[in-house]
Amino acid sequence: MESTLLRDIRNEAMELTVGAGEQKHLVLLSPENGTLRIRQLRGSQLTLHVLSLSDADSQIQITVAQDESDCRTELYGLAFTRGKQVVDLETHVLHNVGGGVSCQLFKNVLADESRASFYGELKVQPDAQKTEAFQTNRNILLSTQAKMRTRPQLEIYADDVKCSHGATTGQLDKNALFYLQQRGIPLQEARRLLLQAFFEEVIATLPDEALQEEVREQINKRLNR
Amino acid sequence: MLEINNLHASVGGKEILKGLNLRIAAGEIHALMGRNGAGKSTLSAVLTGNPAYTVTEGTVTFNGKDLLAMTPDERANEGLFLSFQYPVEIPGVSMVNFLKAAVNAKRQYQGLEPLSASDFLKLKREKEKLLAVTSGMQNRSVNEGFSGGEKKKNEVFQMAMLQPSLAILDETDSGLDVDALRIVADGFNKIRTPEMSAIIITHYQRMLDYIRPDFVHVLYDGRIVETGDATLAQEIDERGFDWIEDKYKA
Repeated sequence: MESTLLRDIRNEAMELTVGAGEQKHLVLLSPENGTLRIRQLRGSQLTLHVLSLSDADSQIQITVAQDESDCRTELYGLAFTRGKQVVDLETHVLHNVGGGVSCQLFKNVLADESRASFYGELKVQPDAQKTEAFQTNRNILLSTQAKMRTRPQLEIYADDVKCSHGATTGQLDKNALFYLQQRGIPLQEARRLLLQAFFEEVIATLPDEALQEEVREQINKRLNR
Repeated sequence: MLEINNLHASVGGKEILKGLNLRIAAGEIHALMGRNGAGKSTLSAVLTGNPAYTVTEGTVTFNGKDLLAMTPDERANEGLFLSFQYPVEIPGVSMVNFLKAAVNAKRQYQGLEPLSASDFLKLKREKEKLLAVTSGMQNRSVNEGFSGGEKKKNEVFQMAMLQPSLAILDETDSGLDVDALRIVADGFNKIRTPEMSAIIITHYQRMLDYIRPDFVHVLYDGRIVETGDATLAQEIDERGFDWIEDKYKA
């Protein structure tokens, strides 16, 4: 699957259709303001990555409508917020027709006094039987002033479906941090190892190894500041 | 090498160590026994710098330096190693990267060049051969999916890689069957050098059959109340702790 890298999204409203049987992969690199509306037609596959690694505030809304049957939607994202940054992400995944699969995995790390929010609407219409839809949001707060707001919003009207969601917000594992330090690894480096491990689940889903490395580097840079 | 004077420490607002004194010279093995709550794990937490514990009084010198003034990683780089009672699993952090970071952190502290990837692998293979273990390390995360016994063996392996001057074995025998205990003790004995000291924290005599202590201390109510040689451990095994504690009950 070819990837389309989109950088510098500022005040953009984009619409896209993934045609029948088509596969599309989009990577949004540190988008600022944008609305993305995507329609999926029969048997199509959409993979989307939202990677927020800049200092800019960001408001992103993504709507994916499975308008025909047997579609696959994969949405991944990571954000590492700092300072007084505010990063808001909204996803609306609409299973309008049955037989579709969607999974969402968003991971955020919030430092300093930054704020982030995730609003994940997942709607399965009454006729969208055999839908499988999964949504996961995991967040780590690195300071007591950081604030995460997470709102999964599931509306499931069909009854022959598999749907689940999970959202957790916590801190770095204190026991893991101490274990690493007791082996001689300084606190900053120990934090880096744990944060890299946290984001790796999302990074590993990027198809391009060079892009994976770029993302890991950017995360390192943001951590060392 | 290690000198603890009048150590008072608390956790969660509760005082656990109430004036503990202990001296360990290079090459000595000290066993620390006592009931749950006496302060055994608190001592190892305080020595290694666990932030959940607060030292309220007393001093600890390690190789002539103020141990309590050092961060946990500095203490490790000075040569202190803790074999944890419950080694934590760290998914996503690879065993190899972790060990390499630890080995090189110590080398940097000592003013040495970091090991290259191939030199690190050589060291790893050398220690695997010494301990007669096969490398299960490839692509695995730290302690992930390990059984209790495997975790303890992994602690000993890390000890071999880091070659500490003072190793604290915190209830290494808990949760191990007799065979696993034997393997862990044998591993420790293989890594041991004449200058290496150890504190063996244990409830039971068994471990001390395989790692012969020079001194056995009994911890009661936050203090070492009795010190003897290996025969003291035997006596505790036969008679329990009551006969000792009764002497010191208020």
